[in-house]
Amino acid sequence: VLDQLSFPNNLNCGLALAPQRRKVKVCRLRTSFWESIRSGFQKNNTTQVIETASSSPEEEELLPDEFVLVEKTEPDGAIVQIIFSFGGEVDVYDLQALCDKVGWPRRPLSKLAAALKNSYMVAALHLVRKPTKTEGSEEKRLIGMARATSDHAFNATIWDVLVDPAYQGQGLGKALIEKLIRALLQRDIGNITLFADSQVVEFYRNLGFEPDPEGIKGMFWYPKY
Amino acid sequence: MLVPGITYNSLPTSLRLRLRPHPQNVAVSVSVSSQHSNNQNYSISDQQLRSRGFNLRRTFSDLNLDHLNSIFVAVGFPRRDPDKIRLALENTDTLLWVEDEKTKRPVAFARATGDGVFNAIIWDVVVDPSFQGIGLGKAVMERLVTELLRKGITNIALYSEPRVLGFYRPLGFVADPDGIRGMVYSRKQKKR
Repeated sequence: VLDQLSFPNNLNCGLALAPQRRKVKVCRLRTSFWESIRSGFQKNNTTQVIETASSSPEEEELLPDEFVLVEKTEPDGAIVQIIFSFGGEVDVYDLQALCDKVGWPRRPLSKLAAALKNSYMVAALHLVRKPTKTEGSEEKRLIGMARATSDHAFNATIWDVLVDPAYQGQGLGKALIEKLIRALLQRDIGNITLFADSQVVEFYRNLGFEPDPEGIKGMFWYPKY
Repeated sequence: MLVPGITYNSLPTSLRLRLRPHPQNVAVSVSVSSQHSNNQNYSISDQQLRSRGFNLRRTFSDLNLDHLNSIFVAVGFPRRDPDKIRLALENTDTLLWVEDEKTKRPVAFARATGDGVFNAIIWDVVVDPSFQGIGLGKAVMERLVTELLRKGITNIALYSEPRVLGFYRPLGFVADPDGIRGMVYSRKQKKR
């Protein structure tokens, strides 16, 4: 189990945007959707928001495993990107740090690693800062995650949705869930479920989730509450 | 969501589950310790099930998926592609079914998926209508929950149709605890 703690965190292979290394593609995203992302960055005409046409998941080609969500060039020439990925390349130490930032109770690292490994899909958002030629190496930081467990056939359940507080309010949580849903639907998993705390029920409703459909109720075995 | 007070002896082969439910305050102290299976605190013991002609099965190798599909249809689930059922079972951590000794057919079934450490969701809890009302659903659920607890998973959830909320409540399940809502994605539903 300890082996699982040492997920690759090598900055050089973390992103590999060179086409021959990884299936990376700049994904064109809907303008209106990304207004909120764009406004999250400083008003700066070097910000590039990448746009796409909307279509149903089945009509689109399969989402690539990793793509650039937002890209911006800073005044000093450094390029900052938010990368969406769902290959499961999440460093468990990074994840624990992120969980700390949002105020979640600590969970054992080994269990976190196992939970990630046993999840059907782990969607992550990384902030990557590529410096200008004069500076050193690339910085990569985990700023969001959501994961889904599944039987690979019928049902999937989304757990542990989190976004770094410093990057909240920009539509990144929405992006995480939207992309995760799209990836699940593309794999023909028709029943996508989750359990929402009362204060985030509206957030998920706006993403297409319905509470208690047809009166079906979520139940928990002897919950702590 | 951890239930306080759980202690485990290492690698028990079977468990005695002692529950002291509190009607108002659902924080429960649960102690789980290893015991021999004939001291198991189930509503119906393994022994009693056997004597009534039912076998408990925990793997799906001998499970006829067409027969399982028939039970799904009989209780109102959609008939599913058997290959997809097989794929689902291959990716299911824990399952239990009751086999009718005479016919070797399944008469009750339940399974649970999850991440193996924190969360589990129970799906497809079914009893053949001809065998309902004699405690087989309860038998399957009690053992499934026990097995999940044995694996250290304490966040156990499920989605219940309104008409069977009364089946799950006595088993220890609570709907919408602390306002948590079960939600399902609907393609038609999405706000653009």
